[in-house]
Amino acid sequence: MKRSPANDKALLAQMVRVVFPHDRIGAAPYERTAEAILDAAAKWPGQAACLAAGLDDLSAAGFSGLGEAQATAVLEGIEGTPFFRLVLHTAVVAFYNDAEVWSVLGYEGASYDKGGYVNRGFNDLDWLPEPRIAAS
Amino acid sequence: MNRISNDTPAVVIVGSGAGGGTLAYELTKAGIPCVVLEAGPHYTLDDWVNDEWEAFGQMAWLDPRTTSGSWGITKHFPSLPAWLVKAVGGTTTHWAGACPRFMDYELKTLSTYGRIEGATLLDWPITLEELAPYYDAAEKAMGVTHVHGRPPLPANNNYKVLANGAERVGYRSYGTGPYATNAEPYDGRPASIQDGFNFQGDKHGSKWSTLVREIPRAIETGLCDLRPECQAVKITHDRSGRADAVLYVDKDGALHRQAAKVVCVAGNSIESPRLLLLSDSSMFPNGIGNSSDQVGRNYMRHLTGSVYAWFEKPVHMYRGETMAGVVADEVRHDPGRGFVGGFYMETLSLGVPFLAKFIQPDAWGRDFTGMMDHYDHIAGLWIVGEDMPQATNRVTLSATQDRWGIPVANVHYDDHPNDVAMRTYAYGKAQDLYKSVGAIGTHRTPPYPATHNLGTCRMSARPEDGVVNKWGQTHDVANVFVSDGSVMTTGAAANPTLTIVALAIRQAEYLAGELKSGRL
Repeated sequence: MKRSPANDKALLAQMVRVVFPHDRIGAAPYERTAEAILDAAAKWPGQAACLAAGLDDLSAAGFSGLGEAQATAVLEGIEGTPFFRLVLHTAVVAFYNDAEVWSVLGYEGASYDKGGYVNRGFNDLDWLPEPRIAAS
Repeated sequence: MNRISNDTPAVVIVGSGAGGGTLAYELTKAGIPCVVLEAGPHYTLDDWVNDEWEAFGQMAWLDPRTTSGSWGITKHFPSLPAWLVKAVGGTTTHWAGACPRFMDYELKTLSTYGRIEGATLLDWPITLEELAPYYDAAEKAMGVTHVHGRPPLPANNNYKVLANGAERVGYRSYGTGPYATNAEPYDGRPASIQDGFNFQGDKHGSKWSTLVREIPRAIETGLCDLRPECQAVKITHDRSGRADAVLYVDKDGALHRQAAKVVCVAGNSIESPRLLLLSDSSMFPNGIGNSSDQVGRNYMRHLTGSVYAWFEKPVHMYRGETMAGVVADEVRHDPGRGFVGGFYMETLSLGVPFLAKFIQPDAWGRDFTGMMDHYDHIAGLWIVGEDMPQATNRVTLSATQDRWGIPVANVHYDDHPNDVAMRTYAYGKAQDLYKSVGAIGTHRTPPYPATHNLGTCRMSARPEDGVVNKWGQTHDVANVFVSDGSVMTTGAAANPTLTIVALAIRQAEYLAGELKSGRL
């Protein structure tokens, strides 16, 4: 596949899905994460070069045509490389900081502006007995 | 606020956290003017954000540091040995609030545990009996729940899982505190609204910090000259070897000299030894206060570890006070478990952003995402145990420099075999606890960048064994004090903030007496 910004983003998004596979999460957070990786790398020529070379290698390996198991095997083969670590370290921040990801995983984010959880379920767990709160 | 001129020899306090902030209030309350040099900016409650990464970028000490040693931090977080705050209030703005006292035997570890190969155990030069009235004073100042008439916090979801598990595996000493966040209004601050954000600064102000209590009260006396964004870089001395000034860099990079009659170093267990080591001279070639070569040694960080467990039914661990749940049964001297010292198990929750980063650093693929998929069904706890002091676990000056061209701290750490044995045992006990209430999976999370940083300028009865005496006064230089967790001879299992505050109140009383009697 010929390199282009659109292709880079698609290939990176596919890579991020193999890195962080969540069946319940749609394409958009993976695409936003790919953009975040490209944006971050664009600020540092060394990182941009590292990213471009890594994406070339993935293209040459036919990464976009691989199933999850084969794609995972390809990434396991490069997980010690600066390219993989660059993608992983940027992706783990960007992907799990995405409101759509939070919503699927069940995290509610900021709460102070909503009055905290004092009246919104901080103690709503009801499948265990109510424990004592003072040490005996 | 009174400006104290740079030429007026003042009590100069470096740092405004648990130690420095408390000292500033206690001394100014006693009529003694203080200059407080704080490296970080002065934020207010409105500045805090309920967002893990944004708050981290805002509050954390992100100036470079370097690491070495066999601990996992060198591999996964090589420039972040510790998660400390650079702001007025220091790390009290970010701490959770757990306030256990030290146990009597934890101040006498050499006598109690005996000699342990590779460890530099030493008895503290003070006893629990001597500390007790200062613990009382600190607990009242901080509004600690469960003691002095302060009610306990209610059970939140994460606590319900911890407490029921504790009960089922036979533990008896568990509760929602002691914890320095108000369950009901106290001391001019409101009750907790259980917003779940502790490590990001408490917007509501129900958590004790020196930002909300000691610093404003010190300023109200008119005797505290607080200088944010002023980083101390060297303590200088006169020809007799007495400290006479602190050099500091302001936010624009300009170097200033504040004359000093007493210097109190309270920059935490990484920056305090760094400052002493940077303060070398022909008279003190290894740094001020360091004739023993003990400055920077015996760095401790608690052995730590987390266990996260997931269940069939929801937990929502992130709702409510993060660490208002403590199991204390394993804090005892019982070498039959295969190690000396003890550990607490305390509730801990992270939001999705930080859990992804820390649950298993650098993990990816289905095993990792399988855990994250359980997020709202996860309960979590933190293991906080006594780690062994070792001479080679050490803060030194690095070849790396900060933006002012000043060497940064390198933090070297290797686990002691006792640390490994305790952590392994504790992981097993925590997993048993969660399995007893139906966990369908559990994970052993390795230690995070340290939030408890101890030792490095330890108290000792004999000058050759440590850096400071039982008042925190350096053995070498009578008017240089260390006023933070660096002075801890050994680390105990307890979260350290309460003890840092108690020691600072005690030190202030001593310092005020020495100053008023003219001995300093």
